[in-house]
Amino acid sequence: MKLWPGNGRRQALAVASACAVAALGVAACGSSSGGGSGTSAGKQVAASAKQTIVFATQGLGGEGTATKAAVAAFEKIHPNIKVQILSLSPTSDVALEQLQHYFIAGSATPDVITTDVTWPATFARSGWLDNLSSLHPDTTAFFAGQVATGQFNGGTYAMPWFINAEGLYYRTDLVKTPPTSVSQLVSDARTAMARDKSLKEGLAFEGAEYEGAVTAFQSMGAQISLKDLSNIATPANTTALNFMSSAIHSYKIAPSAVTGWEESNVQAAWLSGQTPFALNWPYIYQLSESKTGGKAAYPAVAGKTGWVPFPSATPQSSLGGDDLAINARSTHKAAAWEFIQYLDSASAQDTRAINAGDPPSLKSAYNSALYAAAPYYKQEQAVYNVVVPRPVTPVYPSISSQLQTMISSVLSGQSPAAAALKGAAPTVQQLYQTASTG
Amino acid sequence: MTVSKTATSPGPRTARAGGPPGGGYGRSLLAQDRRFGYALIAPVLIVLLAITAYPLVYNVWNSFHHDNLLIPYLRGFSGLTNYKELFTNDQFLPALVHTVGFTVVSVAIETVIGLSLAVALNKRFRGRGIVRAAIFIPWAVPTVVSAELWRSMFDPQQGFVNYLLSSLHLPLAHTTWLDGTWTAWTAILIADAWRNTPFVAIVLLAGLQAIPSDIYEAARIDGASAWRTFRKITLPLLKPALMVALIFRTLQSFLVFDVVYIMTSGGPGTATNVLAYLDWKAFLVATDFGYGGAVSVALVAFALIIAGIYTRVFRIEQPA
Repeated sequence: MKLWPGNGRRQALAVASACAVAALGVAACGSSSGGGSGTSAGKQVAASAKQTIVFATQGLGGEGTATKAAVAAFEKIHPNIKVQILSLSPTSDVALEQLQHYFIAGSATPDVITTDVTWPATFARSGWLDNLSSLHPDTTAFFAGQVATGQFNGGTYAMPWFINAEGLYYRTDLVKTPPTSVSQLVSDARTAMARDKSLKEGLAFEGAEYEGAVTAFQSMGAQISLKDLSNIATPANTTALNFMSSAIHSYKIAPSAVTGWEESNVQAAWLSGQTPFALNWPYIYQLSESKTGGKAAYPAVAGKTGWVPFPSATPQSSLGGDDLAINARSTHKAAAWEFIQYLDSASAQDTRAINAGDPPSLKSAYNSALYAAAPYYKQEQAVYNVVVPRPVTPVYPSISSQLQTMISSVLSGQSPAAAALKGAAPTVQQLYQTASTG
Repeated sequence: MTVSKTATSPGPRTARAGGPPGGGYGRSLLAQDRRFGYALIAPVLIVLLAITAYPLVYNVWNSFHHDNLLIPYLRGFSGLTNYKELFTNDQFLPALVHTVGFTVVSVAIETVIGLSLAVALNKRFRGRGIVRAAIFIPWAVPTVVSAELWRSMFDPQQGFVNYLLSSLHLPLAHTTWLDGTWTAWTAILIADAWRNTPFVAIVLLAGLQAIPSDIYEAARIDGASAWRTFRKITLPLLKPALMVALIFRTLQSFLVFDVVYIMTSGGPGTATNVLAYLDWKAFLVATDFGYGGAVSVALVAFALIIAGIYTRVFRIEQPA
């Protein structure tokens, strides 16, 4: 199962440590070359011609098999087009570097790329992606939050492929109905902890100083979309940040250990049955219900798992997932677009959802065929309906870094939520302004 | 490659044949030797130029320019802006203080423990070979691995450290180590010392073994106490080895990155932010090559100062 950028830190270290251990070496890692011109190079090959297109994508195991099956099915429908899969690293950060190397070199391949939802803005700004607007893609067919991740300066540069979103897991045996407000969440968690002494905590979430803390912050109600960046010191954000900190320090429903937890730690806490609530991604749903040798792999949660948007004042869910895009320098744009349309068809989306567990981005893919094979998708849709993207901007990495530090300083009790937000606001605003002047 | 060309063309034999007889002969031999010498070091020089001089020059150049990959329209000469940024933002100076503090404490801990280990391992005892090998194992473990290991050991719920403390009924058994400024630093220092003390021990042990045993015998015959022997014989004769260990460890500590990156990501907040981590963030997260260049140049400057202080303190005589 593909998670998301935060997972890359260890592998990124190979690169990063090589740079930073010797301060001198740092510069050698980067080249100051800018992006390609973005103008289409080379002659375009018609969709009907015999040709081979290259599809750069991540995914091993179940996801890889599903991709191969989808390619085979596509080639059957379009016998003249052959799709060659270019496997990218399963680690998001490394895959990002690999793609950037192709783009910086001005390569015409890969023709079609898989991109994390946080990358298209950066790629589009650099002129690396083809503007798909002229093809009039039906963006209304997909979850609106994810469509936004492919938009840049009014153009559509990437199409949703599959969605990933963060929501609140709850134990249906401990909590009868999912909480509809934050205060109810707190009291439910406390009641459950008082009743069942085997519970170690009431709520698990990602609080380590990494990308996950930002998505948790957003899923708990923080308004950090692009338009909000001019001032992040808002009451809504203070409430969200306050809750994260209070959950640990005053409500005492989350252990102080969450300040070091990433999604794998939250996953372990949930699957072992030590918490009635956990904030995490949809792959947990599949894991909770998974079986080994005919028996539930995780009996503590199997059949007792529910998933809803976090019950903040206006429930919302932080968006992850992957988009599909076309290389601006590709000479097979017509065939590439055919391929993307195939991957985004309801039948292809359903097949992938059932076999690889990747939730469809296409709304019409949530149909009886899908529910028959995997009933939990029915409940997941409620979360996908309220997804909000992280800021779609080329300077997102820097903004995220600011937010991570801010959240960490609040969770560790170094500064109160309101003050920390006020402190980070000018820097975030400055980053946002620099990005939007260009 | 250039290397082989320089090595063959002004060969020693041809030069000697053309050389004048008598007094001038020696000088031309010297010239030949010198040329031959340069030819021999040429490969190393080329490598050094490529991996040290080029990035250094490139970085210095960067540091005087605006160059952020993500803000391509804002490129060009920036004068001292990046350096001004170092001293006006709220990150560089705290990171510098953290780095210096970490360096002083970690080098002190590692030198004291490393020296004791080296002295102990220099004694004859049963199973010495095994103990020596065992003690050096941590140094063979990649820092990434050891840092991950320590991070999981300091986990407040599943970690070994809190388990040990609570089973021994010691205080601090419920500490969330990586979530407090001082506890996080303690954890980092322990992880760093575990990994690097063996290095100090290896170097010092080699130094100890180079001290002739008859000096110790003489001291014993003269009735010198163990402490006196250590102070008057061991320490002075160990000075070269000690200096090697200190210089290496000080510079490495000053450039510490991986332990911090893995264990705390500079947190909580920015409490364990160090210069190399700041530099990494500037280069690879913000892709700001100008500001990153300025941080790098500052790092180099500090490293040179440290090396300079050491050479002064230990008064190394330069071989002619």
